[in-house]
Amino acid sequence: MKKVVSGNKAVAYGVMLSRVEVISAYPITPQTTIVEELSRFCAEGEMEAKFIKVESEHSAMASIIASSVTGSRSFTATSSHGLALMHEMLHWAAGARLPIVLVNVNRALGPGWNIWTDQTDSLSQRDTGWIQLYCEDNQEVLDTIIQAFRIAETVNLPVMVVLDAFFLSHTSEVVEIPDQEEVDRFLPRFEPQYPLNPEEPRAYYGMVPPDYYMEFRYKMQKAMEETAGVARRVDEEFSGQFGRTHGLVEPYRCEDADAVMVTSGTVTSTSRVVIERLREDGINVGLLKVKMFRPFPMKEIKGVLKGIEKVGVIDRNISFGHGGIFAQEIRSTFCNEDERPTVFGFVMGLGGRDVTPEAIEEAISYTLENPRPKEEVIWIGLKR
Amino acid sequence: MKKIHIPEEELMGPGHLACAGCGSPLGLRLALKALGRKTVVVIPASCMSIIVGGFPYSAVDVPIVHVAFETAACSASGIRASLDMQGDRETTVVAWAGDGGTFDIGIQSLSGAAERNDDFIYICSDNEAYMNTGIQRSSATPYLAWTTTTPIGNPKERPKKDMMAIMADHRIPYAATACVAYPEDFLRKLKKAKGINGTRFIHLLTPCPAGWRIASDEAIKVGRLAVEAKVFPLYEIEEGGEVYTLTYQPKGIPVEEYLSQQGRFRHLTKEDMATIQENVDREWSRLLGKCDGRAN
Amino acid sequence: MAGKIIYRGESEMPFSPVSSGDMTWNRTGTWRYIRPKYEDKTPPCNAACPAGLDIPMFIGLVDEGRYAKAWNVIREENPFPGVCGRVCFHPCESHCNRAEYDEAIAINALERFVADQAPPLEPGSPTQERREERIAVVGSGPSGLSCAYHLARMGYGVTVFEALPRPGGILRMGIPSYRLPKDVLDKEIADIQAYGVEIKTNARLGGDLSFKDMEEYDAIFLATGAHVSRKLNMPGEDLEGVGSGLDLLRDINLGKAVRIGKRVAVIGGGNTAMDAARAVLRLGGTPLVLYRRSRDEMPAFDEEVSEALEEGIEIRYLVGPTKVIGNNGRVAQLECIEMELGAEDETGRRRPVPIPHSNFSIEVDSVVVAVGEEPDLTFLPEDIRIQAGMVSTDKGARTSRKDVFAGGDMAHVDRTVAHAIGFGKHAAISIDCLIQGRNVKGVLPGIQVGEGGTLSMAKYLSEVARRRSQHVVTFDELNLDYFGHAERNERPKSPAPERVGDFREVSAGLPEQDASREAARCFSCGVCNGCENCYVFCPDLSVITDGGMVKYRINYDYCKGCGICIAECPRNALSVEKEAK
Repeated sequence: MKKVVSGNKAVAYGVMLSRVEVISAYPITPQTTIVEELSRFCAEGEMEAKFIKVESEHSAMASIIASSVTGSRSFTATSSHGLALMHEMLHWAAGARLPIVLVNVNRALGPGWNIWTDQTDSLSQRDTGWIQLYCEDNQEVLDTIIQAFRIAETVNLPVMVVLDAFFLSHTSEVVEIPDQEEVDRFLPRFEPQYPLNPEEPRAYYGMVPPDYYMEFRYKMQKAMEETAGVARRVDEEFSGQFGRTHGLVEPYRCEDADAVMVTSGTVTSTSRVVIERLREDGINVGLLKVKMFRPFPMKEIKGVLKGIEKVGVIDRNISFGHGGIFAQEIRSTFCNEDERPTVFGFVMGLGGRDVTPEAIEEAISYTLENPRPKEEVIWIGLKR
Repeated sequence: MKKIHIPEEELMGPGHLACAGCGSPLGLRLALKALGRKTVVVIPASCMSIIVGGFPYSAVDVPIVHVAFETAACSASGIRASLDMQGDRETTVVAWAGDGGTFDIGIQSLSGAAERNDDFIYICSDNEAYMNTGIQRSSATPYLAWTTTTPIGNPKERPKKDMMAIMADHRIPYAATACVAYPEDFLRKLKKAKGINGTRFIHLLTPCPAGWRIASDEAIKVGRLAVEAKVFPLYEIEEGGEVYTLTYQPKGIPVEEYLSQQGRFRHLTKEDMATIQENVDREWSRLLGKCDGRAN
Repeated sequence: MAGKIIYRGESEMPFSPVSSGDMTWNRTGTWRYIRPKYEDKTPPCNAACPAGLDIPMFIGLVDEGRYAKAWNVIREENPFPGVCGRVCFHPCESHCNRAEYDEAIAINALERFVADQAPPLEPGSPTQERREERIAVVGSGPSGLSCAYHLARMGYGVTVFEALPRPGGILRMGIPSYRLPKDVLDKEIADIQAYGVEIKTNARLGGDLSFKDMEEYDAIFLATGAHVSRKLNMPGEDLEGVGSGLDLLRDINLGKAVRIGKRVAVIGGGNTAMDAARAVLRLGGTPLVLYRRSRDEMPAFDEEVSEALEEGIEIRYLVGPTKVIGNNGRVAQLECIEMELGAEDETGRRRPVPIPHSNFSIEVDSVVVAVGEEPDLTFLPEDIRIQAGMVSTDKGARTSRKDVFAGGDMAHVDRTVAHAIGFGKHAAISIDCLIQGRNVKGVLPGIQVGEGGTLSMAKYLSEVARRRSQHVVTFDELNLDYFGHAERNERPKSPAPERVGDFREVSAGLPEQDASREAARCFSCGVCNGCENCYVFCPDLSVITDGGMVKYRINYDYCKGCGICIAECPRNALSVEKEAK
């Protein structure tokens, strides 16, 4: 059934349809309405779940790690500082190989306080072992949550579903809300691999000596390496059942492009419009939307960008001392290839600064006009 | 003949890694006898997380979930939520945390869970310092006790934090102190706690030979002296922090008898001992006032 | 789930750190440098008991309500718990460690309690494998019957020769019924006979029987006691109306009519004198006890003297008789002299010295002399050596003739019922050694209780019992944290005015509840009584209990040698030893 819902509400629907059993969350702008919607679903009996109103995000993640190992499908949502506070436990959730889904509303980190969209919060967690999926619109948000549980419970790694603050979280769009039965067919009951059972007692997550630690980390990496394939198959199945597909990456008008811009999140939507216009003007430029950031879909990206000479990466984030994070990932994807595109790293839109069509066009022009970037980090829209 | 009666079934095995004579695994062994097989134990970073053995072993015959240092209480909340959703109201969730994980780094999580009255038993195995990392002070370290971070030149001037008062003020249905030297009292309290819903807190004194600088055979004796000297009275707080009941009438021996047994107090002067005696007497009067004649 | 788990490759491992084994592969016993061991030690009561009774063991059983088993424990050593529980001077209580805490355990009362619960034994009670050897025992007093009992339990055929018409020796003839009812004695003698012991009464050695008649037996035990009253050798001693205490008591105990008159002087300060005086009182006479030293030196048991005084019997101290004055051949007056205490004599007591010119006379109808007894040695063959008026025996109770043994009052200066019983047992062991070809001197050290010389039959027969260390546990070797003060439970006694009219038993037994409470006060020094503190407090689950009392062992695979079990044992039933490396 189609409804006009905000991104946060779409999250709530996704969580409800996925029959999450334990939710534990702490409010932080702009995630709060997720928590409020889920609260309302539980209170009104639309959703049967325990909602632990924890006193901090760190406790939120810790408590759903515990509920997940006990055997319940578990969920939390947060943003920015809340995610940063969870950092220790993000490592723990992934190392514990638990199929938790977390929704992070991309928001800038302080100081100073800034509640608007910025990707640094989620990308700062890229080493924790979480699968990261970035969403462009509210439909994708809802669909991705359902897929996320499937993927997580297959590869036994937690999944972070990311959406932009305010542009998605608080903006209403038309979203097709699937039926519960449909989702039930797609997403079966959670069956933990090592169920917690007093009849067969085990200790979970005890000390691991040097003899074995590396093997566990190897297994995590291997699981990550399988995730792209799993995610593709899940997406295909989802597409078959629900008629919608989002892929791991999405190329847009990349055929014979002189340059391809790489984007993620809502910047992608704006970029599509710009690309369309430029193409009409005869400029051969394409767009590559990256949805899956972790594992970084190198194979898919190499496929799309094969033969492309120039790649302009738009990062709404920065890793200080290096540069935009998507740009780094793109560069390292090609470092051993015989044919490598020249990668231009653009940083724009930090702290909710609007990424306008003009800003994107500026980045595209820079890419097309310069043989190579004059700077490692190209700031667009900065007040100089 | 007076015999200490405890249930027979052992839910723990030998071969664990505790120091010889440690009070904590004894406490866990006794606790599991009261709690029974249908129990899940949450263990945050502490001596116990090492004692029970590392991957791929466990010395304990009930499920253990090892969790991060500061997350004992909220993890217990999470497990309880999941068990409830699975329709299991029989399995008891127990957190077994040290004083570090309860008084200091874990206090936020514990306060949050207690305020929500989340349904689990929380046992703080108190050895009065961060023992697992090598005897550093915690807010549970007693006044003037030596630790590596409160050496003799820089003593611990602050009193031991009153965790029971903090828990009482959260209005949880049940809180109690206990000591491994008084097993029947401890087990009775656990059995009582098991029959109550909500957050139940047990402050268990588990003397540490290594950190308290006592001989390996003295943990029980020193535990008893702590109780008899009124340093660690045995009592219960019920009805949401309202009703205080003494569960053991101590002999009231001079605190010096307790302190002089332990190397961590060896540097104390006569004046120090007198001050400590005053403090103990004052706290004891206060407790008696709250008990208001109620004794078990 | 035991044994080490080794993963050779990551594919063998689970994908997250989940356990699949326990820690029992980790034998933490290697951490030890000292090790605890269960080692029962000797409690002071056990060491002080001349009969070698395993006191904490029987009291522990009373505490558990297992009276029949308690009775068997006592009878491992002593066939006369009912007797001893009434007449023994209970040195056990004088040595009881509890006395330093509050009050000694009422061991004597508990022994009586156990005996009073026991039904009579069926004849044909089980013994060890029946042996063909036969032993002769001369005298059916406590020593003779104890020896006979122990021999019979070891499988020997035993015949007891008793000169008098009824068996029992001093128990029947010397001790009045108000202290030891005859039915109690009869029952315990019958229980001995249930083991197949044959008692021939009216069979006097040196009378109808000669020593030669004994020689057909494989061994002989002489235990005829000391029943010849010492004489004062004063003028008038052979007048009518002057008799010995022993004779008086025997006549009363045989049911003969006794003429004693109104005023009866009883000379002496021992148990016989007390018994005689109290018997006189009950027969309607007015006794006056005359003792040549003071109260402190009286050899009679303290309780005896107290009870006599309660009954209103007058005792005059520091008085000695000088002569009996008669009238028509019958006693009429007794002349006495006052004494004062001088230097110590060979017994360590101060010698009484007559005060010159302090003579006085008292009117009396009878005089009862009770100043000591001697054994009758006249029937003995010449090769049985005598020394200091007694049969000379060595440490093995042997006389100068190889297969003749002696014990009890006729061979020792320690003349109490408990000693007699102990000596009888000693002889039985020695006889068994002789017959089995064992060197008794080599056996004795291992079966002693403590260092005193009392022997344990349990130790003789069982290797397990011999494991009990002979170290006697002192008060400061106990952990008193597990005890609370409690009053001693005393057995009821008839009030003096009520009891002097007849020979009914003065003391009643402890009621069951009191016995139970009293038994619970016993520290069980040195002897494990199954309190399980060791098991409760072991952090390493290394105290294994097989259930039931006194069945614990340390699991040395895991014991880290912390020593908590040793420290928390209330009664020092564990010891520490250095770990062998």
